Amino acid sequence: MIQAGLGAVHALTDSEKRAHPFVSWFAAAVLLLALVCAPASAQPPAREYQVKAVFLFNFLQFVEWPKDAFDNPRAPVRIGVLGEDPFGAALDAAVRGETIDHRPLVVRRSNRIEDLEDCHMLFVGGDLRHRLEGVLSRLSSQPILTVSEIDGFARHGGVIAFYQDGKKVRFEINIAAARHHRLKLSSELLSLGRVIGTDALTEGGPDT
Amino acid sequence: MSWLQNLPIRKKLTVVILVTCATVLLMASTALAAYELFDFRRTLVRDTTVLADIIGKTTRAALAFEDETAAKEILHALQSEPNIVAARLYDRKGKTFAEYTGSTAYIPIPADPEEIGARFASGRLIVLRPIMLNERRVGTIYIQIDLAGIYTRLWFFSGVAFLVLAGSLVVAFFLSARLQRPISRPLLKLAATAQMIAEHKDYSVRAAREGGSETGVLTDAFNEVLTGIQERETALQSEIAERQLAESRVKAQLARVAQLHQITRATGERQDLKSIFQVVVRSLEDHLPVDFGCMCLYDEIDHALMVNSVGLNSKGLALELALTENTHIPIDKNGLARCVGGELVYEPDIEAVAFPFPQRLARGGLRALVAAPLLVENKVFGVLIVARRQKESFSSGECEFLKQLSEHVALAAHQAQLYGALQQAYDDLRQSQQAILQQERLRALGQMASGIAHDINNAISPVTLYTESLLDTEPDLSPRARDYLGTIQRAMDDVAQTVSRMREFYRHRETQLSLYPLNLNRLVSQVVNLTRVRWSDMPLQNGVVIDMHSELAEELPAILGVESEIREALTNLVFNAVDAMPEGGTLTVRTLVADPAPAVSDSQSPFPGAVVVEVTDTGVGMDEDTRRRCLEPFFTTKGERGTGLGLAMVYGTVRRHNADIEIDSSPGQGSTFRLLFPLPSAPLQEEMVITPAPAMGRLRLLVIDDDPLILKSLSDILTAEGHDVVTVPGGQAGIDAFNDALTHAQPFAIVITDLGMPYVDGRKVAAAIKAASLNTPVVLLTGWGERMAAEGDVPEHVDRVLSKPPKLGELRAAFFELLVPPPPTP
Repeated sequence: MIQAGLGAVHALTDSEKRAHPFVSWFAAAVLLLALVCAPASAQPPAREYQVKAVFLFNFLQFVEWPKDAFDNPRAPVRIGVLGEDPFGAALDAAVRGETIDHRPLVVRRSNRIEDLEDCHMLFVGGDLRHRLEGVLSRLSSQPILTVSEIDGFARHGGVIAFYQDGKKVRFEINIAAARHHRLKLSSELLSLGRVIGTDALTEGGPDT
Repeated sequence: MSWLQNLPIRKKLTVVILVTCATVLLMASTALAAYELFDFRRTLVRDTTVLADIIGKTTRAALAFEDETAAKEILHALQSEPNIVAARLYDRKGKTFAEYTGSTAYIPIPADPEEIGARFASGRLIVLRPIMLNERRVGTIYIQIDLAGIYTRLWFFSGVAFLVLAGSLVVAFFLSARLQRPISRPLLKLAATAQMIAEHKDYSVRAAREGGSETGVLTDAFNEVLTGIQERETALQSEIAERQLAESRVKAQLARVAQLHQITRATGERQDLKSIFQVVVRSLEDHLPVDFGCMCLYDEIDHALMVNSVGLNSKGLALELALTENTHIPIDKNGLARCVGGELVYEPDIEAVAFPFPQRLARGGLRALVAAPLLVENKVFGVLIVARRQKESFSSGECEFLKQLSEHVALAAHQAQLYGALQQAYDDLRQSQQAILQQERLRALGQMASGIAHDINNAISPVTLYTESLLDTEPDLSPRARDYLGTIQRAMDDVAQTVSRMREFYRHRETQLSLYPLNLNRLVSQVVNLTRVRWSDMPLQNGVVIDMHSELAEELPAILGVESEIREALTNLVFNAVDAMPEGGTLTVRTLVADPAPAVSDSQSPFPGAVVVEVTDTGVGMDEDTRRRCLEPFFTTKGERGTGLGLAMVYGTVRRHNADIEIDSSPGQGSTFRLLFPLPSAPLQEEMVITPAPAMGRLRLLVIDDDPLILKSLSDILTAEGHDVVTVPGGQAGIDAFNDALTHAQPFAIVITDLGMPYVDGRKVAAAIKAASLNTPVVLLTGWGERMAAEGDVPEHVDRVLSKPPKLGELRAAFFELLVPPPPTP
């Protein structure tokens, strides 16, 4: 009886202890449900682009721009979507309310490269697969982080390229291109992505 | 802590040091351990938090890019730390993103991330840290650390600490054992010294000084205290010794005082010298004690001591030394002489004294001698002698005691003597009082008897005178008349004798005896006849027969004596003999001549020989006491009947006649009274022949008397004698007649006057006569005559006193003596 009593007390205290996480857990579930349900009701973007939109935002956090890339410390970080926009509202949702080093985030969309030359990050839509050379050359030495889901984008001079590994979205990084664009990429980012352009890196080692 | 108090100081110091060390070490190590534990936990928390943050940092990109594999790889790196048993990454939504579990058991990891922080639970440290990316939380890291290993290490650390502690204590023990010595050794030495002193009471011991600090000071102080104690102890010891000595002295003194008191009381209870001395000597023998003790009386005339009393225990020694009672000790010039001079003499060793008396005592084994004088009023009357076998054995206290004792004894003895004297005086006084009473009685009786005798003498004077005159002057009387007159004369003589005996009560003896030769045989016959009434007639009235025997020696020599006195003495003896035989018996009166060497008795009679008269009866006799006292005046066995004067008179007579008296008697055996008269040196005529005085011829006589009968009878008789007699009936008339005769030249040859007369008595008459005519003899005629003679009261101016009744012969003799020789010188 005493054992049972003590057990009951323990049970009681356990449930009390758990009450808090349980509540928070319940709240998180509700929130998650709201997050999932809200975009779906408007124009449900593909799961893939949602992830990629978040990835785009995450890239911003692991990249350091040269000082001249911003006019002032409060100058916004401009994200440009060149060509076809696969993200829909997902990108806007991903950056909404976010800041990078106290800089607000601005998303611009354009089909013209000229409009987007002052962007800090440029997503190159799939429709520009064939005009890639021109775009990239136009942007050479500009402190612009270029991202695309076009195959071989990195090998062709792009900085970060998405690729599909099963269901998982992965990316490869051309650190030579990054250096070319005077961008510093965080080692954390580098440890997660497939890094190419290391030859150039070693070649250009003495230059840095 | 009382066990600590009782520990020896070395152990105490060790314990103190060890306990202090242990406590300090324990406290230090406990604090250290607590701090270590606390610090360890803090450090662990910090380290783990840091680790968690590092992991968070390294996994945030993986989280951001949802790269679980990368995250897993990172987590896997935790296996190098075996204490980390579990780790988990949660994504920003709280879902488990990656997980790592160690080889050992871990407690269940919550499915959702808990609150951020670190906590210890069930032997585990659980740390939850947020994973931030660009100020956004991208996930949570959970790390669980098993503390068992760490605690094991902690326990090991504690064990090591304990060993170190134990080791330290061992070291401390040895160190303290060595280091405590400077403290404990001086103290222990002090303690040992103190104990030694306590055990042996030897305060002369001193503690050795060690070191100069407090212990040195303590040692010095201890030694100083010891010095003080030693001084006091010495002082105390000497004081105690003094006090003990004084106490023993006081005790001895008290004992002696008690003894003195006892002796004094004992002597006070006794009144005779002998028993006082005996008590003192016995008490000294028993209680002082002494080996020899005696009391001697000092004979000042002989200058010698006489042993009066010897102690009971000293008797043997006294015999040996010839110092028994009544021994005379000549006083030599040594101690005894000083003692007799009033000093207490103490000879510590008499063997060294060369004088006879000490040598005599020394021969008896005695060595120490004390002679104390018995002083009364600065006169030594005796000596107390005590001696002991041990030489120099009398202490000064004892000498003082003996001195005081001798004073007390002397006082007691003196008091005893005084008491004896007082008793004697008292007895004498009582006897004198008795005698005076008796005398007063007798005096009254005698006065009465004397008055009666006077009157009778006066009354019978004419009868005697006429009878005598008739017988003398009438030759023509018929024989019958002559016989009758002779009888009348004898009867008158008897009357006169009776009267005179009556006067004996009061009579005193003449001091000067006129002794005449007399024959005792004749006297005895007279007495036998005179007392016939007592030994024959009066007893016969009571039917008692007394045989009277007279055994008279023939040719008894005459003796010198007073007839009347001896007769009276014999009469008394006969009366006593009769009184001694109330049942009758034989009374023998015997005369005899004792041999010159007296065989009659053991009396040391100084006589060359004696005439003896004995009166013997067969009566009741006397016991020794009575025999001894029977001669005392007023001693009588006859009660009121006796005066106690009879034998006293006899004794007086005997003494006056220079004779002796012997009494043989024993109770029931009768008594013999024996009078021994000395033989006169020259043979005497038996009796002086009284030659009748010749007639004086015619004389002119003046007779003065207030009694007419006497006056007439005298006148008749003297006229018949042929004298010219003028009678005058009174004193004054007589003087007038005498003067008348003188003036008429017819003087009287002799004046005869009565003594007792009214107005002018015989003395005045005599004085007047002598005043008128000095040579005229005066004869005083008196009924008191014998008394006056006895008192020696022959009045002035009287030439001759004659008793009444006057006898013609006496008158004739008186006339002859007064007139024939020339008148005798007055």
